[in-house]
Amino acid sequence: MSETIRDSHARRYRILGDALAVAVYLFLLAPILVTIPMAFGSTNALSFPPTSYSLDLFRIFFSSPSWLEPLFQSIEVALGATMVVMLTGVPAGYWIARHEFVGKALITGIIMSPIVIPTVVTGLGLYLYFSYLRINSTTLSLVLGHVAYTLPYVILMIMAGVHKLDRNLEFGAELMGAGLIRMFLTVVVPQLVPSLVSAALFAFLLSFDEVIISWFLTGSNTVTLPVRMFSALEWEVSPVIAAVSTFLTAVSLVVCIVAIRLKKWTPVDA
Amino acid sequence: MSDDPVLGSRIAHTIALKGISKMFGSVTALHATDLSVEKGEFLTLLGPSGSGKTTLLNLIAGAIGPTTGAILLDGRDITTMPPRERGIGMVFQNYALMPHMTVFENVAYPLRVRREPAKTIQVKVTAALDRVGLRGFGDRKPRQLSGGQQQRVGIARCIVYSPAIIMMDEPLGALDKNLREQMQGEIKRLHRELGTTVIYVTHDQEEALNMSDRICLMNGGQIAQLGTPDELYFRPRSRFVAEFIGESNLFSGRMNSDGRIVIAEAQLIAGPDNRWTEGTEVLVMVRPERVKIGHADGFAKGHTNVLNGEVTSTSFIGGMTRVTVKADNGLNISAKMVSGHAETRPELGARVRLCWSSSDVVVVGN
Amino acid sequence: MSPAVLIAVAIVLPPLLRIIYTSVHGPALSLTSYAEVVKSNLFRETLRTTFIIAGSASVLSLLLGFIVALHLARQPAQRRTALMVLVLLPFWTSILVKCFAFTIILGRDGIINSLLSWIFDTRIQLPLVLNRIGTLVGMTNYLIPLIVLPVLASLLAIDSTIYRAASIMGAKPARIFWTVTVPMSLPGVFAGLLSIFVMSLGTFIIPALLGGRRDQMLSNLVDFYNRQVLDWAKASSISIVLFGIAAAFIIPLILWRRRKA
Repeated sequence: MSETIRDSHARRYRILGDALAVAVYLFLLAPILVTIPMAFGSTNALSFPPTSYSLDLFRIFFSSPSWLEPLFQSIEVALGATMVVMLTGVPAGYWIARHEFVGKALITGIIMSPIVIPTVVTGLGLYLYFSYLRINSTTLSLVLGHVAYTLPYVILMIMAGVHKLDRNLEFGAELMGAGLIRMFLTVVVPQLVPSLVSAALFAFLLSFDEVIISWFLTGSNTVTLPVRMFSALEWEVSPVIAAVSTFLTAVSLVVCIVAIRLKKWTPVDA
Repeated sequence: MSDDPVLGSRIAHTIALKGISKMFGSVTALHATDLSVEKGEFLTLLGPSGSGKTTLLNLIAGAIGPTTGAILLDGRDITTMPPRERGIGMVFQNYALMPHMTVFENVAYPLRVRREPAKTIQVKVTAALDRVGLRGFGDRKPRQLSGGQQQRVGIARCIVYSPAIIMMDEPLGALDKNLREQMQGEIKRLHRELGTTVIYVTHDQEEALNMSDRICLMNGGQIAQLGTPDELYFRPRSRFVAEFIGESNLFSGRMNSDGRIVIAEAQLIAGPDNRWTEGTEVLVMVRPERVKIGHADGFAKGHTNVLNGEVTSTSFIGGMTRVTVKADNGLNISAKMVSGHAETRPELGARVRLCWSSSDVVVVGN
Repeated sequence: MSPAVLIAVAIVLPPLLRIIYTSVHGPALSLTSYAEVVKSNLFRETLRTTFIIAGSASVLSLLLGFIVALHLARQPAQRRTALMVLVLLPFWTSILVKCFAFTIILGRDGIINSLLSWIFDTRIQLPLVLNRIGTLVGMTNYLIPLIVLPVLASLLAIDSTIYRAASIMGAKPARIFWTVTVPMSLPGVFAGLLSIFVMSLGTFIIPALLGGRRDQMLSNLVDFYNRQVLDWAKASSISIVLFGIAAAFIIPLILWRRRKA
């Protein structure tokens, strides 16, 4: 005897729904499913599935300066942007979450605006502003541009983390005599560790993958990996891009896995 | 005032509120209020939610600033002083322990903030944990403790730095009934031993009656009555107080020339009370447990305030049984009697006779 | 800590002010570049294309995303978490990787055309990329994960006892879907649709790499004036117009969400 009652009508709908869903999942994963095998293909053909397998494309990627230099530039920019955005965004997010001040709605609106403003607009604005400051085409301008771009996401994540904390802990610490900075470092920061780590990871990945703002801000000496890839795709589609794509996907995958694991992780049981 | 060899000598402090009030936008959370708490006193702020007791507590702690008025600690104005400089301790309803610190580190926190030497911290924290019966729990994380144990940590963290005033915001609110009563005893003992001035917030009247030197009963952002538990229970000064604390039969009547009060045409005798003149409308209270209940032909002559009636409901609530009687003169009166077996309780519809002594009639007000 | 807030404003605000300044500061302080932009055929054509592409890509993504969200909502919690990876992984995948993959999949000698040639045993070279189809495929792939999350949230918010009640009262699955699932998830669907629409108004990479030369969107026009024509006043004016259009759609959404909260 079956445990559940069979309803052939409902079952037919379920099977149809499952089939459609599988098709959409396949469509979503298609880019990854195509690029990864190709990355292990041969160096002279863009065919799928590859006729022979090798690590040649990765060897080209990791040995040619025209790809390696953008890779290091991207790492440098992403690390710098993550550092600056955390140093600014964490205290700012805490302050916005916990305090009322004059013009709060306006100020948070301005800080959050890069989320809704089309990225091209932000990119052009940063380009014009940095031209005015005469720091265009420098690594600094890229770092600052990425900070402006990632800041709202970091602040939102920190605010969400702070809202989950018990306000009495902070007030209690203050009553017991702790100053603001001491309280922040000993009470707020330790409890926020999961939010801090995921915000930093997210900021790093956003910056590392960012194309549009970098497209406006890079000079010939500060080309980032995504910009290098974008201009490569604009002109010729070479097989080595499959290896670069696989590398970018692997970075995303690592960040994705860490972020999912972090959700289950709490500072208390660690 | 009392001494502890480790936690140090406690000099009890006073706190006084002068015309303090608080508005949130256009809503008045607390009307202008005067209140002073004596040295070593255990004062309870009691009241329903929204009565202003938490606002009052937050004003004293410095979590919010007052709209008008001043707060004096030992006569010194601390109205605008930031919380960390006030030297006040607080025990929170949800414990507010740092989840990332051990019990020891939690209790040591206020001492570390004060840059006390490691040796002193070790000694004081151990003494404070001893006091609350948590010797040997120092290495645990708060989450590994029961609710009662967590609140003991909260109390230890508060007494360890000898704050001038200890405030407790419904500290037992999250505990179940038995544990709550046990903890009430422990907090009372600690207060007796340490002699610190305590301001305690609760909405549980039994807790307030049991623990307090004085109770400040709040309602609608104002003090409804301030006094000892006895005063609030036996001499309530308004309908709100009479109804909020304990159960009560409330009647409205009129003062007679000879000190009697006429209620619904029945002559009731109240104790001598010269506050009101003849003809004044007054509100009168009789506590149900002071109403004697007997057979319809019971009670010898000479009893005052005798009424006949019919039982309309009985409820068995443990040690006591509540009996509601509709008197022949139309009054609904509830009486409480010590519970016996089912057969000894009056049946529904039974004819009974009620009486109470004139000294149990309290004139609440007019 | 409040200085951090000020630093944040100092990083974000000046570029916005600069772009407004540039848009009115051509040869002289005026709105001429706006007037010229609005009058130009190129701009009007691009504006129309932008709306058509953004609208159709959003609706397409909603349909496909709804299928996925329904499927996820039906799974037991544990399996749902596992299946979510299939949505989150594309969400985290670089847009460039997707564009590269779709040139391979949709190209003249790409995977689909090879497959069709093999099936019909003739050489088939359907133009699937560097045109409207390529743009729509790329954008749909990019937008689906973004709409699955809000729609799933609103599906999961539906009290499951309502489904039980409806089916006890005799409703068949199709009726339950149209009378319970759809109306009750509508707020989430609407909010999600509006936000992916606004997001697609500003897409730049996908039309640049997968779209045809004559099928560019406003973002590409901004880049064109900035990089090819070097007319920053026009580039800025178009940016401000694009920003204004996005704001006109997003501000009601924000206000609506705030009123609901």
